Amino acid sequence: MDETKNFVCRCEEVTVEEIEEAIDNGATTLNEVKRWTRAGMGLCQGRTCRKNVARILSRKTGRKLEELMPSTYRKPVRPVRIGLFEEKKIRGTSNENMG
Amino acid sequence: MKKVFDVIIIGAGIIGLSTAYYLTKKGKKVLMLEKKEIGSGSSGACDDMILLQSKKPGILLQMALESFEMYKCLSEELNTDLEFQTRGGMILIENQEQLKIMEDFVRKQRSYGLDVELIDKRDVKKKQPLVNDRVIASTYSPIDSQVNPLRVMKGFYMKSIERGMEIDKPSSVTALKKLSNGYWEVVTDNNKCYHAEVVINAAGAWAAEVGKFAGVEIPIKPKKGQIAVTEQIPCVGETNIWDADYIVTKLDPVLAEKRDRILAELGIGLSFTQTLDGNYLIGGTREFVGFDTKTTYQGISNILSQVLKFFPVLRNVHIIRTFAGLRPASIDGKPFLGEVKDKEGFFIAAGHEGDGIALAPITGKIMAQMICGETLSLPVDELSPDRLKTHCKPS
Ligand SMILES: Cc1cc2nc3c(=O)[nH]c(=O)nc-3n(C[C@H](O)[C@H](O)[C@H](O)COP(=O)(O)OP(=O)(O)OC[C@H]3O[C@@H](n4cnc5c(N)ncnc54)[C@H](O)[C@@H]3O)c2cc1C
Repeated sequence: MDETKNFVCRCEEVTVEEIEEAIDNGATTLNEVKRWTRAGMGLCQGRTCRKNVARILSRKTGRKLEELMPSTYRKPVRPVRIGLFEEKKIRGTSNENMG
Repeated sequence: MKKVFDVIIIGAGIIGLSTAYYLTKKGKKVLMLEKKEIGSGSSGACDDMILLQSKKPGILLQMALESFEMYKCLSEELNTDLEFQTRGGMILIENQEQLKIMEDFVRKQRSYGLDVELIDKRDVKKKQPLVNDRVIASTYSPIDSQVNPLRVMKGFYMKSIERGMEIDKPSSVTALKKLSNGYWEVVTDNNKCYHAEVVINAAGAWAAEVGKFAGVEIPIKPKKGQIAVTEQIPCVGETNIWDADYIVTKLDPVLAEKRDRILAELGIGLSFTQTLDGNYLIGGTREFVGFDTKTTYQGISNILSQVLKFFPVLRNVHIIRTFAGLRPASIDGKPFLGEVKDKEGFFIAAGHEGDGIALAPITGKIMAQMICGETLSLPVDELSPDRLKTHCKPS
């Protein structure tokens, strides 16, 4: 089986090949790979593919995994129903950051 | 030996990259310097609209119309699918006060050749069957469009590289000096030093900081915008959506006074647009809070209650991500485009606030024309940094 056709990001259906192509085209960081391929932008927000994308970037660029800045984590941690915000609304009283 | 270029561009956002594309197209040797990553500024944290309707009649509307025409051919030119699509846009109106102001606004826009009209409640329902009954009318423009900014940046970047552009990143500019031979010396935090005849400050919300290195005060501030992203869902209606509530406060100071305090403080104006992948982007806030890019519970929950007000059906849809970007907001709401007086070779292309995606192609094209001494596609005198002087004067 051709491994380059394997999905790295299943939510957005991004293949190994597409990740490699983005790196060949000049993406040098995990955020750049994410922005160019959408890997990690789907429903699970990179929970499954983040590490695999990092491994490919590390292999292709010869940089150590620890040296790669993780791509940005975006809140919320789990998908949240919009209605819940309405039910919980604290108008103007709280300026805290989202959970 | 120092490396010498024709042009050094500071900032790999959509404006810097567009300018690089049109300059390399004319054969210029370009160096791009980026402090972090491509698209790490506002251009990677924004909506995707080429919104024509929100523009005040004048140079910005003209530029947006010109960009719209350019975007139509850019996917092919850049050999990248920019996900350009024209879905149309509506600004929802809730009361007579808003209606009166929007009537006048639409009339003026039409006189500039924009295809926009007011439609009544019945027609609103036809286009947006799920909208709440509180909506009494709406504007409608069939040509409001959208494009994927990440794709646009990738396309500009790859074509520029193909044509010989060099890039140094991460590499933050820390000093600028005019040399006696007329060249600019650009020094970066990774201890590099480059020379060029022309330097372009395309540092978006950071343009003021870069300006200081050249001894130029640029009145541009970061204006934060928070956005919530939904899971992928089917189309809710025919067009993308905004609310008049915010737009009218920009047109009528009296209404601005009367606005809900929290909505006014957070600068909330609803935008509700769907990407090609099916996610809805729900925005947004307009906050002056420095360079902070955190999303807040208060910001996001107020944005979401605005969208629920118009589309209660969204109650069961999930938010998968939130983010915030920093719009480069200039003091008079217009970008600075051009060479700074008495600083020969130092150009600014920054301050597009909430319109940088829409205005990127025409901005890049005009900047390249200026630098090559050609006739400009549009007269942009009123965007000249010369107006800096007037703004800098103590009142
Ligand atoms: C929430 C939100 C929604 C928006 N929606 C829309 C929309 O629908 N349509 C639209 O047209 N516009 C929209 N905008 C506006 C648009 O995002 C901006 O106008 C545009 O991205 C500005 O591009 P830029 O290239 O000038 O700035 P940026 O993209 O911010 O790029 C500036 C770059 O300069 C770099 N830099 C800074 N300092 C230095 C230094 N010293 N050395 C080297 N590099 C440096 C930064 O790292 C950054 O990458 C929105 C903005 C926000 C925040």
